[in-house]
Amino acid sequence: MSEVDMAVVKPEMMRSYIWIQTTDGAVQQVEQEVAMFCPVICQEVIQKGMGSSKNYAISLPQRVGTSMFSLILDYCRFHQVPGRSNKERKSFDEKFVRVDTKRLCELTSAAESLQLKPLVDLTSRALARIIEGKTPEEIREIFHLPDDLTEEEKLEPLKNTTDDPRIRLLNRLYAKKRKELREREKLKNVEAEEEHVDDRSVDDLLSFINGGDGDSKGMKTSKNRKKHQKRKDRQKCAPEMHKKESNVFSSLCHNAKDDLELQSSLRETLKLQDAADVIFSPTVEYEDVDIDGEIDPALKEEIDREVEDFARILNSDWPERMQELLSLGQERRPAQLSINGNGNGNLKRYGTLFPKP
Amino acid sequence: MPNKASTFPEEVLEHVLSFITNDKDRNAVSVVCKSWYEIERWCRKRIFVGNCYAVRPDMVIRRFPELRSVELKGKPHFADFNLVPDSWGGYFYPWIVALATAYPWLEEIRLKRMVISDESLEVIAKSFKNFKVLVLSSCEGFSTDGLSAIAAGCRNLRELDLRESEVDDPSGQWLNSFPDSFTSLVSLNISCLGAELSFSALERLVGQCPDLNNLQLNHAVPVERLAKLIRQAPQLVELGTGEFSAKLQPEIFSNLAGAFSVCKELRSLSGFWDVNPAYLPAVYPVCSGLTSLNLRYANIKSADLNKLVSQCPNLQRLWVLDYIEDVGLEALAACCKDLTELRVFPSDPFAAEPNVSLTERGLVSVSEGCPKLQSVLYFCRQMTNAALVTVAKNRPSMTCFRLCIIEPQAPDYQTLQPLDLGFGAIVENYKDLRRLSLSGLLTDRVFEYIGTYGKKIEMLSVAFAGDSDLGLHHVLYGCERLCKLEIRDCSFGDKALLANAAKLETMRSLWMSSCSVSFGACKLLGQKMPRLNVEVIDERGPPESRPESYPVEKLYIYRTIAGPRLDMPGFVWTMDADSVSRFS
Repeated sequence: MSEVDMAVVKPEMMRSYIWIQTTDGAVQQVEQEVAMFCPVICQEVIQKGMGSSKNYAISLPQRVGTSMFSLILDYCRFHQVPGRSNKERKSFDEKFVRVDTKRLCELTSAAESLQLKPLVDLTSRALARIIEGKTPEEIREIFHLPDDLTEEEKLEPLKNTTDDPRIRLLNRLYAKKRKELREREKLKNVEAEEEHVDDRSVDDLLSFINGGDGDSKGMKTSKNRKKHQKRKDRQKCAPEMHKKESNVFSSLCHNAKDDLELQSSLRETLKLQDAADVIFSPTVEYEDVDIDGEIDPALKEEIDREVEDFARILNSDWPERMQELLSLGQERRPAQLSINGNGNGNLKRYGTLFPKP
Repeated sequence: MPNKASTFPEEVLEHVLSFITNDKDRNAVSVVCKSWYEIERWCRKRIFVGNCYAVRPDMVIRRFPELRSVELKGKPHFADFNLVPDSWGGYFYPWIVALATAYPWLEEIRLKRMVISDESLEVIAKSFKNFKVLVLSSCEGFSTDGLSAIAAGCRNLRELDLRESEVDDPSGQWLNSFPDSFTSLVSLNISCLGAELSFSALERLVGQCPDLNNLQLNHAVPVERLAKLIRQAPQLVELGTGEFSAKLQPEIFSNLAGAFSVCKELRSLSGFWDVNPAYLPAVYPVCSGLTSLNLRYANIKSADLNKLVSQCPNLQRLWVLDYIEDVGLEALAACCKDLTELRVFPSDPFAAEPNVSLTERGLVSVSEGCPKLQSVLYFCRQMTNAALVTVAKNRPSMTCFRLCIIEPQAPDYQTLQPLDLGFGAIVENYKDLRRLSLSGLLTDRVFEYIGTYGKKIEMLSVAFAGDSDLGLHHVLYGCERLCKLEIRDCSFGDKALLANAAKLETMRSLWMSSCSVSFGACKLLGQKMPRLNVEVIDERGPPESRPESYPVEKLYIYRTIAGPRLDMPGFVWTMDADSVSRFS
């Protein structure tokens, strides 16, 4: 209906409309009762007398795009009808927020600019439900957010990965051994055959591994640290606000170097000759290694055997494995049990078995 | 400023965050990216610090400027079993001094296993104008003088809960410190207090607080006083009675029964210290509405217990002594189909012979009959693998399973085998199991099961179990969500611990006492892991006075960004780079 037409129509037939200009420049008329549901529009009309004609159309805030405004009008059109039951309103609301997350965000933003609190709460709650129970990675993915915090800034536990760390571990172990051997070869002129043997063993070993559960936390530590070291280097200067936080956490920077020292002292402590030790040491990182003493071929073979034992133990059937584990356990038992208290007699010394009443 | 790829404008996030209150979710949100980290920290109103030594107060204050609610935990859980020597630590004073300056609008403080002085309570009373909630769970170090200060100073106090704290209470007069104008109390739990209370003050308080819906009295409130109190607060939802032991007098009984019948909102009953069973029928009027019944201290025998419990078909939570016996548990299973939590405590754990007929059969009945059962704590004297397998298959929705067979290292009493298979079935079937306590005869095998299947386990308690380091290795290697691990009297040594050193940074804490971890290993761990505090607790004297290979008495390892603590007593040493050079 053009303005001229409207002027000709009898007043009783006329519904009141409010003129609104959307951000794309277009002007539209919106039923008064619907538009006035938005506090900001309401304010413009009442306090500033805007919206009564095309020339005095109310300009919407920048965050209210045309398509968003249309959705918001749907919302207002439904809810401004007084006779609706709570059940009806709830049902409408549930359907209304079944849109993609991008749209939900835009709606929240637009509703907020129009100060339409019920809609802000509705869409915010819907977004909250999407976020609840998710990991930070999942949240980043859903909302396309950058992963720009350094590891030091994250006060969260080191994460576990789903790719099999035992493969990586064994590859590393073998890479390390190969490197050692290559160095020894250069010094001692050992045949290249041994290197070849190594490769074959790696392949054999890999065939044992069928992927599974369990993670090696140490692996992820090193991977994370390396990744974030690089990212830290590339990062731009953090703004003032972030500097405060970084100072707190920068002192905690646990760099990869410490791990090398840990690994080599562990090797001293654990004494590689003990077969069972290799079962445990895999969770510690093996990067560049300081090798203490000579490695002779006999020891190398023993190490190969130990690693194969490890892989076999991890992947063999239960009964077989139980036998091995139990027999390993039995070796230790006499040494450890004598240290424990003998139960009841020493209850007072060793505390109670039951919580204080 | 939102970058153009971002679909989540910052102002939107603030609104959304007001609907995200769960700690884990807030923590996840805070590490999504830099802008979210900033927005989240300014919006955070509530903080939970699971280990008060993991972070310093000034760090919390710097990161979260707008807190209204703080929750802290101090001593490790095994302190409940007298395994943590007195004066180990967990002092609240340094926290309250910092919080008082930083947060004048702080409303809530919740503490567990911490040492609080009267002085700290005085600081609370005078620093926060709008203080509302004080919960002191299993705390100690304060007296009723401190409580007086709180009563007098906190004009808007809504909740005062002293559950299971040790309070030095020379006088019951502190209740008089609540002014006449004080009306805001909603919840009062003073069940742990020893001394007799001033009844007039108590009655006045209950009378002038119309919103009081939780009242937990101590055992010094005799049954004849109870009726009057209840009549003044017919809106009560939770009630903890005093003692119920007086000789039966018809007048008192009918008065009491009349008072209970007025409490239409009552959903939870506890207390029942020292019970004369003849008074129990007085509570029958409210039984059909009860969802929670705590008879943990009630010396009610089997027949009377059964009568009481069978009146409560809507029960969701039951804490009871083993007087309930297998027969009672069978009746419970038949009657209470909404039961989600059951705790059965031992009435006489030190008796040589069983004093009641409570066996594995009771547990099996409940697992068969109660489809919503999620949380179990069960003390008993005998168990079989078969029973555990049955329990495992019956209730896959279990999230918390704690079995305490009273005799350490007790095997399956029928087959004399270890209980590995039984617990193996438990962890394999309970896919959502978050908390597990083991007991009985157990080898390394059970730990292999736990490491393989217990992917969601967050807290694990182990005593007198396992054969070798492999056991500990399985747990540390396999339990991805492990947060708290507490071990006593097991033959676990250095190897598993050192090999899984990095895992320790992903957990809140590890406790090992009477195990075989050597001083040398502790030193190494402390030296190489700067984000861990490795505390050696040894009342035999300095660990360096013994050979390095000698095992330490107790070991408490926890991740921290606060560095070694400075308030340790003489029998606690922190292993770190500095101390190691001192020791060697």
